[in-house]
Amino acid sequence: MKKILIIAGVFFAFLITSFALQSAGVVAIPNLWTLHVSIAGTEIRVVDALIVSIIGCISIMLILLVFMLFNRTKRERREKLKQDLLVKYQSLILAYLESWSDHDHYFSSLKKLLKSKFRKQLLIDQICDISLNAKGDVSANLKKLFFDLRLHKITYRKLHSGHWHKKIQAFKELYALNITDKNKVIYKYINSKNDILRMEAQIALVDLAKEVDTNPFEFLTKLHHSFSLWEQITLHQIMVQRDLKVPDFGQWLLHTNHTVQMFCLRMIREYKQINNQARLKYLTFNTHPEVRKLAYEVIGDLQLKNVMAEVKFNYKDEPQDIKLEMLKSMTKSPDIYLLSFLQNLVDTEQDAELLIEAVKAIHNMPNGDELLKDMMSKEYKNYNIIIKHVLDHRIN
Amino acid sequence: MIFLVSFIFFFTCILLLCYVVLGIFSTRALRKYVYKNSFVNYNDIATSPLAPNVSLVIPAYNEEKSIINSVTNFLNLYYSNYEVIIVNDGSTDNTFELLKEAFSLQKTNYFFDYKIPCQKIKGVWKSSKPEFKKLIVVDKVNGSCKADASNAGLNIAKNQFILNMDADGIIEKDSLSKLIKPFLEEKKHKVIAAGGVIRILNSCKIEDGQIKEINLPKKFFPRMQVLEYTRAFLLGRMAWSELDGLLLISGAMGMFDRKIMIGAGGYDASCLGEDMEAVVRMRRYMAEKGERYVVTYIPDPLCWTEAPSTLKDLKTQRVRWAKGLVDVLKKHSVMFFNPKYRNLGMLGYPFWLIFEWLAPTTAFLGMIYTLFLAVTGAINWQFFALLSAFIYSFSIFLSTWSVLFEELTFHKYRNKMDVLKLIGTSFVEPFLYICIAWFSVKGNVEYFMGKNHWGKLKRGM
Repeated sequence: MKKILIIAGVFFAFLITSFALQSAGVVAIPNLWTLHVSIAGTEIRVVDALIVSIIGCISIMLILLVFMLFNRTKRERREKLKQDLLVKYQSLILAYLESWSDHDHYFSSLKKLLKSKFRKQLLIDQICDISLNAKGDVSANLKKLFFDLRLHKITYRKLHSGHWHKKIQAFKELYALNITDKNKVIYKYINSKNDILRMEAQIALVDLAKEVDTNPFEFLTKLHHSFSLWEQITLHQIMVQRDLKVPDFGQWLLHTNHTVQMFCLRMIREYKQINNQARLKYLTFNTHPEVRKLAYEVIGDLQLKNVMAEVKFNYKDEPQDIKLEMLKSMTKSPDIYLLSFLQNLVDTEQDAELLIEAVKAIHNMPNGDELLKDMMSKEYKNYNIIIKHVLDHRIN
Repeated sequence: MIFLVSFIFFFTCILLLCYVVLGIFSTRALRKYVYKNSFVNYNDIATSPLAPNVSLVIPAYNEEKSIINSVTNFLNLYYSNYEVIIVNDGSTDNTFELLKEAFSLQKTNYFFDYKIPCQKIKGVWKSSKPEFKKLIVVDKVNGSCKADASNAGLNIAKNQFILNMDADGIIEKDSLSKLIKPFLEEKKHKVIAAGGVIRILNSCKIEDGQIKEINLPKKFFPRMQVLEYTRAFLLGRMAWSELDGLLLISGAMGMFDRKIMIGAGGYDASCLGEDMEAVVRMRRYMAEKGERYVVTYIPDPLCWTEAPSTLKDLKTQRVRWAKGLVDVLKKHSVMFFNPKYRNLGMLGYPFWLIFEWLAPTTAFLGMIYTLFLAVTGAINWQFFALLSAFIYSFSIFLSTWSVLFEELTFHKYRNKMDVLKLIGTSFVEPFLYICIAWFSVKGNVEYFMGKNHWGKLKRGM
């Protein structure tokens, strides 16, 4: 009630002031109806500009609305057509592949369906989908069908298109159908400025390498662009899914591009290529901190005990995040030789994460439990809370 | 008087022009994103052993109605390397007890540093069951704000990336893969934060913490906010991300580089707009260190949250947003037209100050002035009608533009009638702007009068 009274009071005061100002002739209102604005020497009446803007806004709004509704209807129709065509294509392709006598009949049936760009593209997608899981004769017949229907012309046209997304579509179709004729064209894009085009070119080359029996990662030698983790993950997944021949990644460990070095480190870990121990040791002195950090991580994962002396030696000069990785590698390859170093660290380090990791490394040593109990009961009483953390199996 | 009239008129014209320019940038960014992502297979990242580890930090205060379903949802995301940290911020209801019982929690001997100051952490709990090994529950003393709870989560998190989100939000299964992608892509500069689109949950069908059916809200206020969110996320933030002037990643969900966030000092518990403040401070931290960085934004709808469904709740929310905005702008005023902060200082900050902060106040002043003219009989009714028609038609045009973006990209609303209803809402929405402007003015007045507490919102879940 109090609030309403205040608002009413303010409003009443406002009315009185307004009338008072009007009667005293204080208020001088500019006539906006005749206001002109000068833009690049041209006098424009504000009123005219407003009318044009209103008409413009309403027209565009109506056009957008019609476009939206039309687009939705078109999409729904296309979806329905797509489902119908997919069923037809699938049955005709399978019949074509299974029957040796009636090839021509199924071929001409498929050809009759190819009346528009949309229908052709849908068939290309369907052939590619089947081809990705096909082998031997089936794969060869699909390829033959693709060429006989002259669908390759569409793919080649896309490969030379000015639009990057069309090029990528072509890459995907080429590697799905194992067509290696255009590898040279794809190779041109491995250093493209467009990251997605570059990545798809790399994937296509890796996948097509099995057809021409070359090293799938040959392109790494010439890669001077940054090789992002996203690209690395995608390529690794391709290797796993397609069961590709794994090269010795140690050959690129000393590459000038540090992102290539990092990819190789990851692959050496994934494929346990422990023969690269000497090069790994060398990388712990790399100028790039991310490379060093990953090198320590890989050394730990591969449990390379022979490198631990270097890890221990380098420890004091590294920043916190690399120190943490070094201690993790010590945890993964426990060695009694490191005990005094680690005990000294537990005494001197202040950072909680480093302390926990150092205690973990001691715990992982032979008789680790006893070593920690000994620390708890004797001189390291201040660190009981850290030791309890490490010994708590629910946390780690 | 002529100055006031001209100021309001030209201010409005420039603001509308800015919206058009942002829309153009947004169109470009969206087009690029849609093409680029049509080739991406998110399964690769979700299942890869090379994928980086992520910690989800979820503050929870009195969330007993939804906490079990939410945690179940968080534990079932399509990504292999992640942990879920629920921070019970001294809830006075049964949130913590329910969690303990549902996930068989046991107190652990967890050791950590208070790298970022926060209220006392009473204990860190983990499940005795292996199927919930990703779950960590932090029980702490109430800090009276979300920022304090988020900081506690940051102290416990160990992974390279942090996903901070609201406990009552429903996250899409592939959100982590989508949000982590910008951090892994080749960029000229380091990515320090990434945000995604937040959508309105009202009227959607939910089962076991999952959205089973997406519907347009039945009530008017949430539906109006669907329009607002679509405009803000698809037209505004997408463009600001492209222009490297993004100031805000929604508190409902955002991913951050943990090292940078800790370096910048975490969330500011004294700030009302802690989500915005954290992004601005991280950006300042990087700029002042002389490091090049980017804050990215992806247009995918990744998280669904309930919007206020009554005018009272909407007022509470908007008053708080207004206070948060003015607080952040005041704290970081050094960035105003400061070339050291590049586009953020030269474009982002000035835009937020002049248009996002000042616009509602200017609009409110304009409304009072119009009333004054009407009372004194000095109003030119023809011009008034023309100007109102212009603002009204522009507002509808802008809303239609954003609905078009939604239609061409993710078209989450499958029913054709939903699109028409959204457009219909855009015809009514401008009439409510006076309320939105008033809430903003009220927020500013309360802020400068020192009434800086969080309002309470009612949740329907």
